[in-house]
Amino acid sequence: MKRIGLFLLPLALFLFVTLFLLQGLYSDPRERESSLLERQVPAFTLPDVMDETTQYNAQVFQGQVTLLNVWGTWCVTCAIELPFLTQLKEQGVRIVGLYYEQDLDPDFGGKSLPQIQQSIRDKLSQLGDPYEFNIFDVSRDYSIDLGVTGAPETFLIDREGRIRLHHVGDLNPRIWEQKFLPLYQELMGP
Amino acid sequence: MNPRRKQRLMAVGGIVVVVAGAISLMLYALGQNIDLFYTPSEIVQGKSGQKPQIGQRLRIGGMVVEGSVRRDPDSLAVSFDLVDTGPIVTVSYQGILPDLFREGQGIVATGHLVGETQIEAQEVLAKHDEEYMPPEVAEAMKGIKHVKPSESSYN
Amino acid sequence: MLAELGHFSLVLALFLSILMAGYPLWGATTGQSSLMASARPLAIGVFLFTAFSYFCLTQSFLDDDFSIAYVAHNSNSLLPWYYKITAVWGGHEGSFLLWVLIFTAWSAAVALFSRSIPLDMVARVLSVLSLVGIGFYLYVLIASNPFERLLPFYPVDGRDLNPLLQDFGMIIHPPMLYMGYVGFSVVFAFAIAALINGRLDSTWARWSRPWTLAAWVFLTLGIALGSWWAYNELGWGGWWFWDPVENASFMPWLVGTALLHSLAVTEKRKVFKSWTVLLAIAAFSLSLLGTFLVRSGILVSVHSFASDPTRGLFILGLLVVVIGGSLLLYALRAPALTSVGRYEVMSRETMLMGNNILLSAATLVVLLGTLLPLVHKELGLGSISIGAPFFNQMFTWLIVPFVALLSIGPLSRWKNQPLSALKNQLLFAFLLAFFTTVLLGFAKDKVDYTAMLGLGLSVWVLIATVQEVRQRIAGMSASQGVMAKLSALTPSHWGMVAGHLGFAMMLVGIAMVSGYSEERDLRMSPGDQVELAGYHITFVGVERLDGPNYEGHVAHLDVYEGERHIGDLAAEKRFYTVQRTVMTEASVDIGLTRDLYVALGEQLPDGDWAVRAYVKPFVRWIWAGALLMAIGGLLSMSDKRYRMARLVEAPVSGNQQEVAV
Repeated sequence: MKRIGLFLLPLALFLFVTLFLLQGLYSDPRERESSLLERQVPAFTLPDVMDETTQYNAQVFQGQVTLLNVWGTWCVTCAIELPFLTQLKEQGVRIVGLYYEQDLDPDFGGKSLPQIQQSIRDKLSQLGDPYEFNIFDVSRDYSIDLGVTGAPETFLIDREGRIRLHHVGDLNPRIWEQKFLPLYQELMGP
Repeated sequence: MNPRRKQRLMAVGGIVVVVAGAISLMLYALGQNIDLFYTPSEIVQGKSGQKPQIGQRLRIGGMVVEGSVRRDPDSLAVSFDLVDTGPIVTVSYQGILPDLFREGQGIVATGHLVGETQIEAQEVLAKHDEEYMPPEVAEAMKGIKHVKPSESSYN
Repeated sequence: MLAELGHFSLVLALFLSILMAGYPLWGATTGQSSLMASARPLAIGVFLFTAFSYFCLTQSFLDDDFSIAYVAHNSNSLLPWYYKITAVWGGHEGSFLLWVLIFTAWSAAVALFSRSIPLDMVARVLSVLSLVGIGFYLYVLIASNPFERLLPFYPVDGRDLNPLLQDFGMIIHPPMLYMGYVGFSVVFAFAIAALINGRLDSTWARWSRPWTLAAWVFLTLGIALGSWWAYNELGWGGWWFWDPVENASFMPWLVGTALLHSLAVTEKRKVFKSWTVLLAIAAFSLSLLGTFLVRSGILVSVHSFASDPTRGLFILGLLVVVIGGSLLLYALRAPALTSVGRYEVMSRETMLMGNNILLSAATLVVLLGTLLPLVHKELGLGSISIGAPFFNQMFTWLIVPFVALLSIGPLSRWKNQPLSALKNQLLFAFLLAFFTTVLLGFAKDKVDYTAMLGLGLSVWVLIATVQEVRQRIAGMSASQGVMAKLSALTPSHWGMVAGHLGFAMMLVGIAMVSGYSEERDLRMSPGDQVELAGYHITFVGVERLDGPNYEGHVAHLDVYEGERHIGDLAAEKRFYTVQRTVMTEASVDIGLTRDLYVALGEQLPDGDWAVRAYVKPFVRWIWAGALLMAIGGLLSMSDKRYRMARLVEAPVSGNQQEVAV
């Protein structure tokens, strides 16, 4: 019976590897906490994407619980979450867009602003418009301030303008219920 | 000791020697070929107290500073700056940049440290799709306030 | 509607699988042949339902049904129809469905081609397969449903297939690879079934061999295609990158190769039993691990699909159950296995054992190199990457003893082979290989010693293989002519010859490409000329390009060798408009002894273009060698010993005529 030890070796090796695989699964860099959590939304002054004369600043997050959604018409995952975001809006959730455009970049073909505005109108009329308004992140600086690594990403901001949650990737009913809803209800208060 | 037993003992001994030799060779080869991952600030300030040595092989990840890409007019030599949270390092490279290389984008380069903040890259990678940064870069930038590429101290 | 049908069909397949996991095994345990007999029709039923489900998904792609999330993510109305069919496995959900489809196809194949195997064994094997299958059906249905709808709102057009995957190599690469991966499930099931009933004998080895060969052939072709695809499509002219995903497919191949040889020993000599069983389990386990590594996105790589920890967790759970369970069974049962055969230190058995040790060592090297970065990071030591030089160095060391064994092994006899009897042959082969290499080496103006070593080893394999065939026919009656003698050799013997020659051929390719490649990154404007390894390349100019779902530029290059016009190369740079991705389409002039490879880089600010030009000597030999190895596998499979028709249950004799490995 003493030989069994030798034959258990492969099993032991496998379980050892599994341990690291399991840990590796949960240290996905995309599932991360932004350092900005619990901190004030960084300051900014940026125009509305549809109307450059309207300027916004961090005041827009004061007094209301808001979802800040980073998106672009070029991003297909964003298009996929639009219908769900629209449902949320219909339930009374305030959603503000941070519009992030690649096409203004000359390396990527270079669309003009009116063309982009048209594509936004097309997209939103097709799939639903969840946004109260869209902040235009002209030089993509603000996305960097927020620690955005891509699109779509969504931030939950409380009444005092503090970031409470940062989600990378699409927002779907499952993520909403598991990740956002408990905190959202708490923030909305009784 | 009977001959059969002796033969077996020799076989086992031989296997142990071979295995030990193989493992040490492997560890030696590994030691030569592990590339630690650094960010620009880790190169300047050190990573867990240790600064990389000049001449060391390493991988670096960061964002390409806008306006920092300088090309040699006669060859494919190119240099650019990388930034994450403030400190800047310069990467020089001779060859064709990947298709996804652009200013303001996250990239990963493999190469040698040739000066305090100078890296000579053998390979530059930007193999990510447009919606996400390379996870290593995202990981490195986790929880830090970024210097905006357009406002970094480089001129 | 089609999507719902497909989904429903998959659910039915799951239910049939559950029946198939239970009834036949129960029948085999209690000896009820009617229950055992249910295994075959059930296996075919499961396959048919899965195939229908797969057909539904394919049809949804062809119909541009973007209300299905998976279609919207991976297809586009502009995509040509053939890419719509291949886009089915372009993403996570679909490639898993393909995986499951292929899995059931193998089970159905076992059901159809197992007439020579006793019913209780077939019943056990199919039940074991089905137990594994249930896990994967649950995964597809719960965590990765390809039929999920995007309702009520859905996009008018899809996101398009990743342009990297829009290539002929990619059309056949994943199915081939999956055929190989999943094919090892059959051998695995045979091993588990034999462990359950405790009958691990040479008949078991004989049943397992054709299935191992089949899986191995597919895996060989799949890996070769993947390498060919990377060469053509990634624009770097490399044929192997030691990318985690490539490693994931290479590990089962190495173990599979060891298994082929070990099974031969177990079949002929009834030794190495517990080792062979372990290899059978390991080959499939590594296939599963490969799937996990790729699908979970745990290792960052070109191929990683969007990661989702729930999915990863599900697959990891499956791995623990399947691999952990089988290794536990192994630990409990294997100590009881006794090897009856005796052999001396100098014998073919020892040579094959050495070959197995080296292949296992190679597998461990790859495993270590692939997983160490993960372990390092999880221990909090920071991110690292292990460079290709590590793997190259390790494989250079391993290959020398490997080739020595490969050359001496086939020449030696089972049980006992006095070294003195082989001395002359070995000395002759070794010296001939040495001098040939020196001659070949100095014919070049530059000497690369590693490449010469590789070349020398290949020549040695070639000579040894010829010696082996000569030795074998020398034993036949003198009255026959050489051709008659050659044709008297068994197909499985020719399979070994082809396999070994294929390996030698591949080694030539690898040695020459790594030692004598000429590469240059150039800055060129129209009219510029450059000289590379005796070729005269003129940059003619660049034109705009309009494709069905992309736009871009094409550069024309004119190539001369002395006065002789070699050809016009058209290297493309494509911009895929929907996915917004830039792709490099290299242009290659193919040749027996060299490839001329040109890729277009970016346009530089002053209008010049970056151009990458390579001359890659003998690079085709790498894939040709793989092809020859696969042909060897097929030849071995065709041996009448493994004929699927009912055979007389005869014990395998130690007949010297049949000792092909």
